[in-house]
Amino acid sequence: MQQAVRFWRSREGALILPALVFYLLVYVYPLVKMAGWSFFDHGFTLKFWRELAREPAYFKALSNTLEISVLVTVITLLLSYPLAYLMTTTTPRARRVLTVLLLIPFWTSVLVRTFAWLVILGRNGLVNNLLLALGLVGEPQKLLFNMIGVQVGMVQVLLPFMVFPLYAVMSRIDLNVIRVARSLGAPPHRVLLHVFLPLSLPGVAAGCILVFLLAVGFYVTPALLGGPGQITLATMIDMMITTFLNFGFAATLGLLLLAVVAGIFAGVSALLGLNRIVGGGAGS
Amino acid sequence: MKRREVLKSAGIVTAAALTGPFFHIRPARADKGELVVVSWGGDYDTALREHVVAAFEKATGYAVKLDAPPETAKVKAMVQSGNVSWDVIMTDAPAVQAMLKDNLLEPIEYAAVDKARLAKIPKELQQQYALGQRIYSFNIVYNSKLMPKAKHTRNWTEVWDAKNFPGGRTFNFQGGTAPQLEAALLADGVPMDKLYPLDIERAWKMMDKLRPLVTKWYTSHAQAIQLLSAGEVVVGNTIGSRGIAAKKQGAPIDVDYNQGKLASDNWCLVKGVRDKKIAMEFINIALDPKLQALIAQKVPYGPSNSGAFEFLSAAEAADLATSPENIKNQFWWNTDWWSTPGPDGKTPRESQGERFAKWMVMN
Amino acid sequence: MALWALASLLMIFLVAPVLIIMITSFNGTPYMEFPPKSFSVRWYTNFFTSPQWYQTAVTSLKVAVPTMIAATVLGTSAAIGIVRGSFPGRRALEAFFVSPMVVPIVVIALGFYFLFSGYKVLDTPLALFLGHTVIATPLVIVMVRAALQTTNPAMEFAARSLGAGFWRALWYVTLPSVRAAIGSAAAFAFLISFDDVVIAIFVAGPNSTTLPKRMWETIRFEIDPTLTAIASLLTVVAVVVLVTGELLRRSDPAERGD
Repeated sequence: MQQAVRFWRSREGALILPALVFYLLVYVYPLVKMAGWSFFDHGFTLKFWRELAREPAYFKALSNTLEISVLVTVITLLLSYPLAYLMTTTTPRARRVLTVLLLIPFWTSVLVRTFAWLVILGRNGLVNNLLLALGLVGEPQKLLFNMIGVQVGMVQVLLPFMVFPLYAVMSRIDLNVIRVARSLGAPPHRVLLHVFLPLSLPGVAAGCILVFLLAVGFYVTPALLGGPGQITLATMIDMMITTFLNFGFAATLGLLLLAVVAGIFAGVSALLGLNRIVGGGAGS
Repeated sequence: MKRREVLKSAGIVTAAALTGPFFHIRPARADKGELVVVSWGGDYDTALREHVVAAFEKATGYAVKLDAPPETAKVKAMVQSGNVSWDVIMTDAPAVQAMLKDNLLEPIEYAAVDKARLAKIPKELQQQYALGQRIYSFNIVYNSKLMPKAKHTRNWTEVWDAKNFPGGRTFNFQGGTAPQLEAALLADGVPMDKLYPLDIERAWKMMDKLRPLVTKWYTSHAQAIQLLSAGEVVVGNTIGSRGIAAKKQGAPIDVDYNQGKLASDNWCLVKGVRDKKIAMEFINIALDPKLQALIAQKVPYGPSNSGAFEFLSAAEAADLATSPENIKNQFWWNTDWWSTPGPDGKTPRESQGERFAKWMVMN
Repeated sequence: MALWALASLLMIFLVAPVLIIMITSFNGTPYMEFPPKSFSVRWYTNFFTSPQWYQTAVTSLKVAVPTMIAATVLGTSAAIGIVRGSFPGRRALEAFFVSPMVVPIVVIALGFYFLFSGYKVLDTPLALFLGHTVIATPLVIVMVRAALQTTNPAMEFAARSLGAGFWRALWYVTLPSVRAAIGSAAAFAFLISFDDVVIAIFVAGPNSTTLPKRMWETIRFEIDPTLTAIASLLTVVAVVVLVTGELLRRSDPAERGD
């Protein structure tokens, strides 16, 4: 029986081959080709990388990208934590409703969402009209073409990526531990801070990494809702291709972005263990 | 049994779906009775289709496919990969220069154009690789509700003056247009006839003063007009003709032609155009004064063929950038200066464009 | 409870923008004001009668359907291979298969640009199909893998020990046990392709313009209220696809007990 199992298992393993071949040809090969554009221009050259090091604007774009991503991660975490907690303690039906609502922005096309914010956050848009009507402000506020617009647009779509990993971990926390702590006389806020929070940390870590990495890759939202202070590396890559026709430099910026993401991912997974992230985290 | 049938039909559907789309969509080709003309889209294309395309299709039996916008990068990718699907392009002079640098255009066949028409087109617009179709200018375009006509910015110095004329501004960034260094210099008091060659450092100092006033740097003229009519900004530097077009549709927009920068959109042929004769015939029809007048009535751009003014009323002419009234306060955009390479091999358009992008990021 | 107040606010934040756009799409005037001052369906008619819009929708469909099929097939087989197979480096391979989800999409799109221009297939539906399949497959793998892990391989082995061949056991035992997950994954793969903007920006051209690409160009070059109608239609399509996926999931007896 063991022999048979092993035989079938090895044959089933072969099922990964079509996807593997496809990935190598259409996913890995282009990235290799891109590296080629970055290091070769009629012979091996480092000129694009020298230009990159020399010019502060590109690192500013990178720092813009990171700034946006860190802010998004923090805001999303602050909003998601209570929401995930709510999902853990409520009825399955309410949970299902919340899940569907959380996923709606994700499945609405990014252009639809961004376009909606362009209409709503304008000087004469709904939000400003509301603020003025409620007397909270004296004149229309600038909510678009700056960090506010970008944060609003990105948090809306990244919330589920923080909520679900948090929920996944929170729902597995043994409630008995909480009960014991309470029965021993600990007040609710101490239970939260010293018992629940530490136990939920793996979820926090998984959610933060996921949201951060996804945020770094955003292209459309910062481009449409942001201002000059939110010009990302992705926008610069587009500029290189469409305005400057400098394909070699575009490839260089692309490699830089890829290196940053890979570096963060490698660093974090070394710290926390690859299992945690790939195994339990993402998934709807 | 049921599963087998489902499997079979699934297989057929899959095969059809997988192979179908890839064999039906073919790029338009002139040798198959199709001509692809690329312009800026919007209302001008609608007018172009109504008058020029209709006349052309009737005269030649060819079908015309209109596309937009005329991105230089696309042309470059097309020509270099041998996959050319655009035939005729209408675009501005800087784009023509950029495409020439990469050897992406074919020379215009002037012999194929009516002599009478050429006689009425300004010599500046008749270049080896480009033939002018319409004239427009970069003007002071403002929201007439937020900044009434009586007290609006009448020159660039006033546009830079946020104290006396409060409100957001909008200027261009990306989208292929160079930074408005001329407007910056004019705002600093440089006389219009002493602009070129441009004092670059002086211009950028003025741009630094402009930066905090700009609410949004627009990526397309349509976006600029939209920002103006929605009241997001009160004044901007954009195409006057577009402002007039919006005004005609009821938007609270007006244009001041003072210190405007005149430029032209030109016909050019993509290198590797399959049927040059048919492409030139299209261009010839587009230069017909009567058709140009009909288009100008719908979309207020100045016709390149001044013979068109015979078919326009005085009121219609007044709205156009090239009417005698309006043209005297404007200057021609010196695209020669912008496209002459400097000692480092880069043209001002390239070097200032790069400087603009870096300047924008380091805000 | 304060928590519910926060939750409700968040829900409004998530859903309201799209609802507002849907309401605005019925506005009679070309200015996108809210609340609308007049009622009209002109933007919808505009969409269905302008070739530059419905043609792109057709192109999007022509790319999304094959993508859905290819991604589902590749993803499902890869998931089965990873979960049921046994060979060294399984975890690393899995991370590799899922990596397109975290690599910035601009970088992937840029890679495609270089690849396809080299083979002269830029601006073709084929190029879009290949690109979309790469970004859709990881999600299929994640979903099917999750479902496979909850099913019992014993049934397969039982079938095999009773004499069923490799493919028969696969088709009649393994796949049906995760039928719901495959259905959902296929629906999501379709949506990923249909809604993709970034890859289309880099890879598509006049002969392969998809609906999102046209929308992107419109938002940047010409603000056209038809966008509100299109946005509403896209939302409806997404909801229909998702609900269908959910219903398929519910109807599967293996999926009871969420």
